[in-house]
Amino acid sequence: MKATSSSPLVDALPVVIHDLHKAYRRGATSTPTLCGVELTVDAGECVFLVGPSGCGKSTLLSILGCILTPDRGTVQVLGNDLSRLDETSRSTLRRNHIGFVFQRFQLIRGLSALENVCVPLLLRGESQRVARQRASALLAQVGLGDKGRSKPNELSTGQCQRVALARALVGDPELILADEPTAALDATAGQEVMQLLRKLTTGEGKTAIVVTHDPRILDFADRVLHLENGRIAEADLSTTAASAGTWR
Amino acid sequence: MWFLAIKTLLADRGKLATALVGVVFSVVLVNLQGGLFLGLMGKASLMVDYGQADIWVGHRGMHNVDFTQDVPVRWGYRIRGIPGVKNAEPYVIGWSSMALPSGSFESVVVVGCEPASLLGNAWNITQGAPSSILEPDGIVVDELEAEKLEYPRMREVREINGHRARVVATSRGILGFLVAPYVFTTLDRAATYLEKPLDTCSYFLVQLEPGADAQQVCEMIHDRVPHLDAQPRDDYARMSTEFWMTRTGLGIIFGLATQLGLLVGLVMVAQTLYASVLDRISEFGTLKAIGAKESQVYRILLAQALMLATLGSIVGLVVVAVVQHYFSSPRTTILIPLSLSLGSCALVLAICLVSSLLPYLRVRKVDPMMVLRS
Repeated sequence: MKATSSSPLVDALPVVIHDLHKAYRRGATSTPTLCGVELTVDAGECVFLVGPSGCGKSTLLSILGCILTPDRGTVQVLGNDLSRLDETSRSTLRRNHIGFVFQRFQLIRGLSALENVCVPLLLRGESQRVARQRASALLAQVGLGDKGRSKPNELSTGQCQRVALARALVGDPELILADEPTAALDATAGQEVMQLLRKLTTGEGKTAIVVTHDPRILDFADRVLHLENGRIAEADLSTTAASAGTWR
Repeated sequence: MWFLAIKTLLADRGKLATALVGVVFSVVLVNLQGGLFLGLMGKASLMVDYGQADIWVGHRGMHNVDFTQDVPVRWGYRIRGIPGVKNAEPYVIGWSSMALPSGSFESVVVVGCEPASLLGNAWNITQGAPSSILEPDGIVVDELEAEKLEYPRMREVREINGHRARVVATSRGILGFLVAPYVFTTLDRAATYLEKPLDTCSYFLVQLEPGADAQQVCEMIHDRVPHLDAQPRDDYARMSTEFWMTRTGLGIIFGLATQLGLLVGLVMVAQTLYASVLDRISEFGTLKAIGAKESQVYRILLAQALMLATLGSIVGLVVVAVVQHYFSSPRTTILIPLSLSLGSCALVLAICLVSSLLPYLRVRKVDPMMVLRS
């Protein structure tokens, strides 16, 4: 089975997980990380994953991002059953339909802000001209229209994360996966980044899954899922805050 | 991918400079070693290259232009009778010694040519004329051998093997592979200096009629005079060169030194690319995490290696040209044909591409998961 290459399956839910199991093996020892996770995420929804360190949040995010493969269970991302995709198809799905925001931004040092945002498009084979046009527009949307030529070391951490956000969105992905996007930011910068994330995802009907430890940003979630002992133990913790529209 | 490759390569100027030094070093070393080698080996066949003969005919088993065996001059008649042969002139090369003003002696290689045609006479004449050797006791010496011969002046009289010799002309740049200076004169006078019988010579220099096939004429010479060997000019030049290469180990020595230079260059390039990749390993992880294919990652490394090879080759060839301009001399000739320059660049390019495999093997193992764990 190949990953969808053009528009996503509009009828399919972005994320459907059933009985997901994942364990890490070191020698003869196997450490279960995810034990029977069940999850469904609606299109346009912004779901936060919270839980203690080592509970499997990043593992779940990696599986959704087609970086890791599950041991057992079914995972459907944008209508694609990951267990039926080969390595190349998973890379293609990731490149064309999923945007990543990392905790430490992971910008490429040698590239300017604009060039960093261009990277996903260049990997897709877009021309430099098209990539630069789209990247410029997105940088302007995240408030860094005048910082296109700046290198990552010339930007503040908040600005770096906004560049990373623009990079995640430049390919117009249907699914955004953010791993602790505010962990390296102060309170103000964190709020700004989350406001942008919500504005640029929900406003465009994109689905976002955010892993976080940061209680200050829970208000931005449509749904908060608590992951503990490899299971989603608690759900809909703060829908009230989200429905109150505090992120808007 | 070029864009990413160039930008990330230029981002770390220090590592770029280190890698470039490796490539430049390789290019310079290969060209200079090769150029010196070709320059030296060119001297081994100098007489053949400039002798104006299409075919060199000598005693059976001839293998080096400077080491000769006598053959009867009368066999020249048989050669001249072969279809396609325009003329076949006897030629003498042999060892003697010149008495110096200080009372010491210097070994010289005496070269005697037929006075009527002057075939095989000295070239690059700077004083006097080629035909000056027709004057009584006339000899031509090379001005670059002046120190060895204790600075002979024009018209000065010397003694070679106890016989009078007068410097009537000088040449420039006729320096052989051996340390002994060449002395050009007429056939008869050379025989006197060498104490050879007048009815013997070292070679017959054969010139062909237009359109005659040199290989075919050589075979006919073999058939008609079985005691003689005949070689077209280029073949005999190669044979004279190979004599020194194979019998002295010079080829192996130069070859090893060149290979060592290439190896050092390869290690420097591979090490630098590898260090650069290690330094940016998380960036490669990021590229993989956002969907870069293995082939795209490898293309970045390949493009960087290609750029290093191209830049390094250009800089290296400029350095080589400067060194050649200032340091190449008739005595220490640095002979760099275009084929050597292009060949060295191709070799360095291949090395750089191979060098990119090492960092690629490291990058292949990069788990994109690492960027989520950082």
